[in-house]
Amino acid sequence: MVLVRWGRLLAVLLVAAGAVAGCRMDAPERGAAREREAETGFRGRVQADPAPRPDFVLNDARGGTFDFRAETDGYLTLLFFGYTHCPDVCPIHMSSIAAVKRDLGTEFGRHTKVVFVTVDPKRDTPERLVSWLGNFDPDFVGLYGDPATIDSLQVRLGLPPAVVPDTAAEDYVVGHGSPVIAWPANDSVRVDFPFGTRQEDWRHDLEKLAALDGSGD
Amino acid sequence: MQLQWWCSAQSTAWDWTWQPYPGVWLFIGLIAIGWLRAERSRSPDDRERQVRRRLSFGAGLLCLWLALDWPIAALGAGYLASVHMLQYLMIMLLAPPLLLMGWPRASYRRLADSRLLPVVRVLTHPLVALALFGVVVYWTHLPGVVDVWMASQLGSLALDLAWLLGGLVFWWPVVAPVPERPRFPYGIKMGYLFLATVINTLPYAFLTFGELPLYGLYELAPPVAGITTRLDQQAAGLLMKMGGGLILWTWITILFIRWFQRESADDAVRPA
Repeated sequence: MVLVRWGRLLAVLLVAAGAVAGCRMDAPERGAAREREAETGFRGRVQADPAPRPDFVLNDARGGTFDFRAETDGYLTLLFFGYTHCPDVCPIHMSSIAAVKRDLGTEFGRHTKVVFVTVDPKRDTPERLVSWLGNFDPDFVGLYGDPATIDSLQVRLGLPPAVVPDTAAEDYVVGHGSPVIAWPANDSVRVDFPFGTRQEDWRHDLEKLAALDGSGD
Repeated sequence: MQLQWWCSAQSTAWDWTWQPYPGVWLFIGLIAIGWLRAERSRSPDDRERQVRRRLSFGAGLLCLWLALDWPIAALGAGYLASVHMLQYLMIMLLAPPLLLMGWPRASYRRLADSRLLPVVRVLTHPLVALALFGVVVYWTHLPGVVDVWMASQLGSLALDLAWLLGGLVFWWPVVAPVPERPRFPYGIKMGYLFLATVINTLPYAFLTFGELPLYGLYELAPPVAGITTRLDQQAAGLLMKMGGGLILWTWITILFIRWFQRESADDAVRPA
């Protein structure tokens, strides 16, 4: 009798626990990514009128110049405007992309280029760019150039130009657009990844973008 | 940075600037006042037991305070899953038995004579306490719960309270003298604690062997000291398994030694 009573109590507790644990309590950004996936197949934001990847030349932090269109032609390409002193968005994006790139293997890595353009050339010296990006992935490309060129490039891509405060202090914060822009090898689509993109979402979309390899398959 | 009364996730970059959490001080202060009031009643304990009890309560309260205050609470609330796990260990596994052992015996005796005893008896029945422990451990480690609840001070307080209350209920049948449970001897107590190590295994496995980060909160948090999300998550899983295992197995060992001492003492007084 006692065992039956305790058994009932335990069953009620377990059912209650199951009910609580079964509740969906997703964070808001998860819902938005899922909605986008249902609409477009991608969890990032697909641009309605995709222009091909831009044509520009900037300085490569490892030396020489980098002709963006020529160097990334035929590659799945990710482009991001940020700065190495950034406390949150930039290192989180770079860390997520690097982790997912590693997950997807060397074959994926061989056909992918990640390009980081600094919006803070005053502090981001070529050496610092190479060293900072190397913490995430030594194959990431760091570019720098004069601020006016980089501002106009961002505007061409539909991003707000970066806001660098006019200060003599060394520990300032730069306002900049947060999305990473991705083009597959065949330029058939442009997907923007806002801040808040989870590694799970990166993996989902990068695999899909890699499949759009320009061969028409 | 805005003043918080209880620590919750912040979207600002981590720095080592001290932050006050008045709600935590009030909470710890209320527990201390409750204990001091209970201490005022005359205790029949001998001096040595009294000192041990006070030390135990002091250690438990200190452990709770450290877990709820800056910097552990701040790092755990919004930056590192591994520190969040350290909080879980401190609040649910380390502090409760020390607090219960440090509470004055006279209070337990009053409880034994009160109308609350039947409620306490049901709530702290080993089967119920173990089931509650499992529910609290699993529920408070669900990604949806952590990501949403840790973002607000009330949610963060609710999770901390769930750990503390769940821990007190879980440890009650092991260390509290009331109600007496003659059918819950040392050997069964050891098995009870062993089952808790098994309960800890499932979240540990998800955290340590998960291919992708489980918690958006920590994945999208400003990085601390270059620690990657995945390394942090693996550290959290290992901490849960090894840290939790260390605490629970230490207690299993203590119970075994006490059991052995009791048996030896009984043998000594038993007529040949």
